[in-house]
Amino acid sequence: MSSLAEYFRTDWGAMTTNDWIGLGITVVVFVLMVVAYFQVFRPKNRDKLESKRYIPFEEDDRESGEKHGGA
Amino acid sequence: MEAGLEQKYNFDVVRWFTIMAVVYLVVGAFVGVWIASELAWPFLNFDSPYISFGRLRPVHTNAVIFAFGGCVLMATAFYTVQRTCGVRLWSDKLAWFVFWGWNAIIVLAVITLPLGFTQAKEYAELEWPIDILIAVVWLAFSFNFMMTIAKRKTSHIYVSNWFFLGMMVMITYLHVVNSLAIPVGLFKSYSVFSGVQDAMIQWWWGHNAVGFYLTAGFLGIMYYFVPKQANRPIYSYRLSVIHFWALMFGYVWLGAHHLQYTALPDWAGSLGAAVSLAMIIPSWGGAVNGMMTLSGAWDKLRTDYVLRFLIIALAFYAMSTFEGPVMSLKTVNALSHYTDWTVGHVHSGALGWVAGISIGAIYHLMTRLWHTEMYSEKLVNFHFWTATIGTVIYIVAMWVSGIMQGLMWRAYDEFGTLAYTFVESVDAMHPYYAMRAIGGMIFLFGAIVMLFNILMTVRKSVSEGSLNKARALPAAA
Repeated sequence: MSSLAEYFRTDWGAMTTNDWIGLGITVVVFVLMVVAYFQVFRPKNRDKLESKRYIPFEEDDRESGEKHGGA
Repeated sequence: MEAGLEQKYNFDVVRWFTIMAVVYLVVGAFVGVWIASELAWPFLNFDSPYISFGRLRPVHTNAVIFAFGGCVLMATAFYTVQRTCGVRLWSDKLAWFVFWGWNAIIVLAVITLPLGFTQAKEYAELEWPIDILIAVVWLAFSFNFMMTIAKRKTSHIYVSNWFFLGMMVMITYLHVVNSLAIPVGLFKSYSVFSGVQDAMIQWWWGHNAVGFYLTAGFLGIMYYFVPKQANRPIYSYRLSVIHFWALMFGYVWLGAHHLQYTALPDWAGSLGAAVSLAMIIPSWGGAVNGMMTLSGAWDKLRTDYVLRFLIIALAFYAMSTFEGPVMSLKTVNALSHYTDWTVGHVHSGALGWVAGISIGAIYHLMTRLWHTEMYSEKLVNFHFWTATIGTVIYIVAMWVSGIMQGLMWRAYDEFGTLAYTFVESVDAMHPYYAMRAIGGMIFLFGAIVMLFNILMTVRKSVSEGSLNKARALPAAA
């Protein structure tokens, strides 16, 4: 490997159908991950998402009258 | 008070899966200790092919991964999906079919593997008729779980269920593709793949059995049982969402790192190693998320022995998800591959993470499913220390043995001749093989204590009539 450009050189003409499918999936997955990060860490969505962490306690809380909101 | 829930939910199948999980933990660990002892003291195979290392090793791996691990996953998945969705299992009959079907598979494995019937694919040794049965039972398990979610009363699907769902979808896909074979008889078949493609499919399955079965499934357990046992909600729900999607998208790439320096194209191994390194981020994010759930309440670890199991499991999870990516790097892999270091790494994940989180979840379930306290809290604490000390002795022995093996195999003199013969490296490993067997024995002893403790707890529940009283109470909602 003489340079980074050489390392990342791709013979596009040699790409098979499988290669293109794989590349397509990779790019789509990358974009979806970026969307997931954006949605999850967007301040606007914080309270909505964090409210879900009490789900395992909801049934017990209903029966005992206890609250798990202070943690 | 959870007694009224007996009417509302199907806990009977969960109870049976829970008990069988502990039975299989003892059986699987016993076979593991036996074969570890065979390696240290080879006369222990008594010249019988049926109990030789080659045949008993898959019995051990199938027993601990699919018998113990499978029963834990099915018990916890069926329990948590009901508790987090607020509805009974979609089908009781299908749940019992899964219980009997899964146990039948385990019995078939215990019979066929010592007899030498094998596809010779690691962690997928069972022959084609059993593979089909696995697919049918696994799909029944998954379908029942998904249909229970479909009829849930809550609007949101809690994150533990997402991890279980990810495991179910991916393991179905992986098992079916990896098991594609041409049968030539009732007990013999040949893989449809050959050469390097066969190797790649094998490790695409092999690493994802780790990634989606032994990691995603048990993370589902972690996201429900750590908050419940600590009586505090998970530290960050947002982090759990990122943990889930990063794990789902990332893990499938890793298998190629098992095939460094083989006929597999060089770039594929490099890609596997690069994504392995990237996976440290979500893995540590998840481990920190679990541990930080105790933020402000670390004192609970002093008195809650079950919580100790769950938290030490997360420490092992963090450790092994750092060690794995390091071992996938070509420079490190050149030393570690084919040595006992790999065995040590696997057991730090298997004993420390998988068994630790499972044992914690089982102890948590025991008091809730039998509506009584544990027969002995002291024995739970004793089990914690035997499991931890046994695991540490095991993995330290394998680290030392593995690194020594790697160094001896590649040492050469000024003439370019190998410095050691292979048998010299085997001889040098003997003390560490004995040490590994002792570590396993300590872990096994703890598992036997656990089995005794849970059976006595069931007996205590029967004598108190606590389960029958709970069954008689009307449903809460």
